[in-house]
Amino acid sequence: MTTQTANEKVGSMKDSVFLKVKDQIGWLMLDLQGEKVNKFSSPVVLRFQEVLEEIKNNSEIKVVVVVSSKKNIFIAGADINEIKNITEESEFLKAVTVGQELMNSFEDLKVPVIAAIDGACVGGGCEFALACDYRIATDDRSTKIGLPEVQLGIIPGFGGCVRLPRVVGLQESLGIILAGKTVPAKKALKIGLIDSMIPKAVFTKEVEKFAKDILKKGAKKRRKVFKPKNMAQKLTESFLLKSKVFKMAKAGVLKQSKGHYPAPLEALQVVKDTYKSSNREKSLKREADGFLKVAPGAESKNLINLFFMMEDVKKATGVPGKHIEVEPIDHVSVLGAGTMGGGIAQLAADKGVHVRMKDISVGAIAIGLKAAHQIWDKKVKRRRMNKFEYTQKMDRLSGGLDFAGFKNTDVVIEAIVEDMNIKKSVISETVKHLKDDAIVATNTSSLSVTEMAKAHPNPKQFVGMHFFNPVHKMPLVEVIRGADTSDEVVAKIFKLSKDMGKTPVVVKDGPGFLVNRLLLPWLAEALFMLEQDTDVVKLDRMYTHTFGMPMGPYRLMDEVGLDVCVKVLKIFKEAFSDRIETSDLVSKLSDTDRLGKKNQKGFYTYDSKGKELSFDDGVLKDLGLGKSNESLSTEETIQRGIYTMINEASRALYEDKIVETPEEVDLAMIMGTGFPPFRGGLLKYADSIGAKDIVAQLEVFESKYGKRFKPSDSLVSMANGSKTFYN
Amino acid sequence: MIAPYLKKGNYMSTREVVIVEGVRTPFAKSGTKLKDVHATVLGKTALTELINKTNLNKNLVDEVIIGNTGTPSDAANISRVVALNSGLPQSISAATVHRNCASALESISSGYEKIMSGTMNCVLAGGTENMSQTPLIWNKEHLRRLEKLARARTPIAKIKGLLSLLSANISQVKEIATTRPDQPSKMKPRMALLEGLTDPFVGLNMGETAEILAKEFGLSREEQDAFAVNSHKKAVAAAESGKLSEEITPLYIGKDHSTVISEDYGPRKDQSLEKLAKLKPYFDRKFGTVTAGNACPITDGAAMVLLMEKEQALAEGYKPIAKIRGYAFAGLEPERMGLGPVYSTPIALKRAGVSMKDIGLIELNEAFSAQVMACQKAFASDKFAQEKLGLSHAVGEIRDEILNVNGGAVAIGHPVGATGTRLVLTLIKEMQRRDVELGLATLCIGGGQGGAMVLERVN
Repeated sequence: MTTQTANEKVGSMKDSVFLKVKDQIGWLMLDLQGEKVNKFSSPVVLRFQEVLEEIKNNSEIKVVVVVSSKKNIFIAGADINEIKNITEESEFLKAVTVGQELMNSFEDLKVPVIAAIDGACVGGGCEFALACDYRIATDDRSTKIGLPEVQLGIIPGFGGCVRLPRVVGLQESLGIILAGKTVPAKKALKIGLIDSMIPKAVFTKEVEKFAKDILKKGAKKRRKVFKPKNMAQKLTESFLLKSKVFKMAKAGVLKQSKGHYPAPLEALQVVKDTYKSSNREKSLKREADGFLKVAPGAESKNLINLFFMMEDVKKATGVPGKHIEVEPIDHVSVLGAGTMGGGIAQLAADKGVHVRMKDISVGAIAIGLKAAHQIWDKKVKRRRMNKFEYTQKMDRLSGGLDFAGFKNTDVVIEAIVEDMNIKKSVISETVKHLKDDAIVATNTSSLSVTEMAKAHPNPKQFVGMHFFNPVHKMPLVEVIRGADTSDEVVAKIFKLSKDMGKTPVVVKDGPGFLVNRLLLPWLAEALFMLEQDTDVVKLDRMYTHTFGMPMGPYRLMDEVGLDVCVKVLKIFKEAFSDRIETSDLVSKLSDTDRLGKKNQKGFYTYDSKGKELSFDDGVLKDLGLGKSNESLSTEETIQRGIYTMINEASRALYEDKIVETPEEVDLAMIMGTGFPPFRGGLLKYADSIGAKDIVAQLEVFESKYGKRFKPSDSLVSMANGSKTFYN
Repeated sequence: MIAPYLKKGNYMSTREVVIVEGVRTPFAKSGTKLKDVHATVLGKTALTELINKTNLNKNLVDEVIIGNTGTPSDAANISRVVALNSGLPQSISAATVHRNCASALESISSGYEKIMSGTMNCVLAGGTENMSQTPLIWNKEHLRRLEKLARARTPIAKIKGLLSLLSANISQVKEIATTRPDQPSKMKPRMALLEGLTDPFVGLNMGETAEILAKEFGLSREEQDAFAVNSHKKAVAAAESGKLSEEITPLYIGKDHSTVISEDYGPRKDQSLEKLAKLKPYFDRKFGTVTAGNACPITDGAAMVLLMEKEQALAEGYKPIAKIRGYAFAGLEPERMGLGPVYSTPIALKRAGVSMKDIGLIELNEAFSAQVMACQKAFASDKFAQEKLGLSHAVGEIRDEILNVNGGAVAIGHPVGATGTRLVLTLIKEMQRRDVELGLATLCIGGGQGGAMVLERVN
């Protein structure tokens, strides 16, 4: 691969999409200049139309083969940057129509077209491939074909909703479109999305052979139509059951999205309205209408915004404005093989890092190994992993009671008990067994990283790396920069987090760092609300079903552990005594034997596997709560929780500068707490309400409930200047 | 006659090979704690721990050499599998070696040779064996039936194949039920383990070779049982004092890796003459004295050591435990294979440039109590030296006080492919504790060989 310089970036479109003709085969070559991927931007579409004319006018061409020169990419889809900037409905319509017409023109070419796919073929790329007569692909890992549009809050708009069901049938197409999935080559072959899967090493040769074969057979056009292979498929496709299939798909979507995401529902409706229709024009019109319905919505804008935030993280180093080359990390040691330590060890080993765990007993090591086994074993049972991969991963984990292996370690992650003194003494002992440039990272959730760094002879090498529980599921890592942490160390941990499949956000040291600092006022408020209204289930549901949080505050407290919540709330109150108030229920809660999910007993009860059973009204008695005397409204409940978080976020962002941008707050909230992505994050949501309204409401609460609602100075000044968090 | 060999094979190299460190897994009697733990897992656990314990820079490793005798069908070159599972770079080569009971001494001596010659500087050597998992072998006739069924395409062929198998199975069950375990039979699957422990040249089981020695050297049943009880006592004491845990790393086993095995499962606290007296002779029911109790048990386990050229070891900041002074393998009558140590030791001593009286500590593998006791007698006998070895005087007496001081294979067990390394490891650790300068690790080898290695304490 050649690296592109800035000058080449403005390379001509003629070099990006061009035609080579040889022995009756027209090779349509894709190599978008100045970009790593091929995508459909307006200039690319224009250029495609030019090439299309060339093909039509060249009578020598009897078959067309479309290939990409990009590594691991066929076509990555439409240019999301363009979609992002569109606001007018007419522009959306134009964009969709131009794309649809291009796909139609390829479908209507007199000669057959073969899409030769090596790498990602997604979104518009997949829609293009669907408009071709044949699709063949390499067996490479990078080959992925599918329609992820709904993940951006839009629906396939270049004919994907119409052509995919035709090619692979109802069942499989709904699976792909509604979940925004891509499938690997093997699965694509199985469902008939591609006609042949070819070993990568012989792809070029075999593609030519495939094309010549078609020439030999008369170079006929072909339109693939799904044919049910077995009884089950026949039934799904049958007139009788089709409506049932749609109904079930809809129920599935609603269960997943709780109705907050319009795109999959619209996509489903489009498929339903157009499936098996022979009128292409009408079908595509219906698809375009659907696209127009969802694309301008806030949900889509927010999801696209999130997409770009994620893209930025991929490029970022963790140290803004600085380019730091970081070597990949090969050896990690973990202190403590408990829930967090074991989880971190499992994750690192999963991503190819050799991990050494250290704990105080062989029993503790065994628990860590068992936890890792269980996560991988589940994948083996679901055939997501074979037994060889399992053994390889498992074998990367080992444990001991001493510091054996620590000298070879690049990074030590500390995940022992949350106690500053113990942590400090363990850290100073650990450092003696490390090589000079090893990094020590703490997974503390509540203690000061700067203070802890004092136990390290070289605090530059010390950093926070805060994973969330359960480690293998929660995508956020807060990389906590202590007062002395060096840029290189931040960059290394930032990269390690990404290599471990996580989304890192760099935060400054401070009580609760970012995510817990914002969550705690919400949880504290939930306990105040409980004093007024004891309908725990109802209150939780307001946040989940109405607002879109993955869990309400009570359920979340159970998940975190009630003892941990109590402890952290107390720390928090100490840290911000000027404004944080906590309900009397906090100390009452610590007097009960309720620890939450971990002892199967909290606000809810759980079975031994941690599955939530039901609300446990015994908790009310334990807390000395009688029948509630009022019923809080949905509006007040949500405002008291969410506005409190917004208020705290404004302080964290502007006063304590825990993070530098509102994007980081939103990314951290979405990745760390599951804050509803369709709302774009906490501060995007705040902007949609407006600082003025938020301040006004906070003031109402302040006079009614107390100083904890006092709006921050920065929020007040935003309200006065009619400013927003973004821009 | 070993005399001719005493004239050959002294190294001209000035290089020195040291053992930096070693680790083994717990050993467990076959069919018990480790019966489901694959030999690769045993080997991997020991090797991974060794790499961690030494904080080894993996890129220094030139080769992995591992002894193994009962080649698992799914890990033909088990050394390569163990090396990769232990996280060693794919560029590092790996070989499995087989010299029966001395396979894991063969691995160390191969590594020693490669380092002495200057070809290599750093070798991971050891052995792994899971004797619980040696397979049964179908007899050919039965195998043909199974194959026929497996290849049957048409329904009728399948039914026919099934029926023939079924009728064969019925007669098989009948035959197995009515014949003695060691009696040959047409239908019974053969036990690979049993065949492996039978000499293919003279057709004697290893136990039968021990019976020969017991009779020829006039060793009574009581003496042998007393030897065995003593072995258990020493092993139990070594375990209780924590000595053995210095060389043992725990195994995390079971389907979910949550079962921890951190001690040998073999040595018995309550082993006694009375208990042993109740056992019947196994190999010669009428005139025999060798029982399952005074022989070593079939065992599962693994052991690994890190070999390095001395200068490199020092440059890496290591404090090696021992230096390899010399080694030898020698052959003798297969039916008296138990005397192997007497044949190989003089050559090893010669190559090391020392004599028996310089040796302060000895590990002589206890395949059978009778076999060790016969060795002791032969070692001390001028007559034996003159008649069998072609030497003028006895090789030298082996005093009980310096022999297998932490117990031997009768208690701890003898995983055939791993024992050689276990002997060396146990020896050099104890040499350090006792401040002994020179030690000898030696063992008899099925098929009629002996192996011996002379080691010098370095620290």
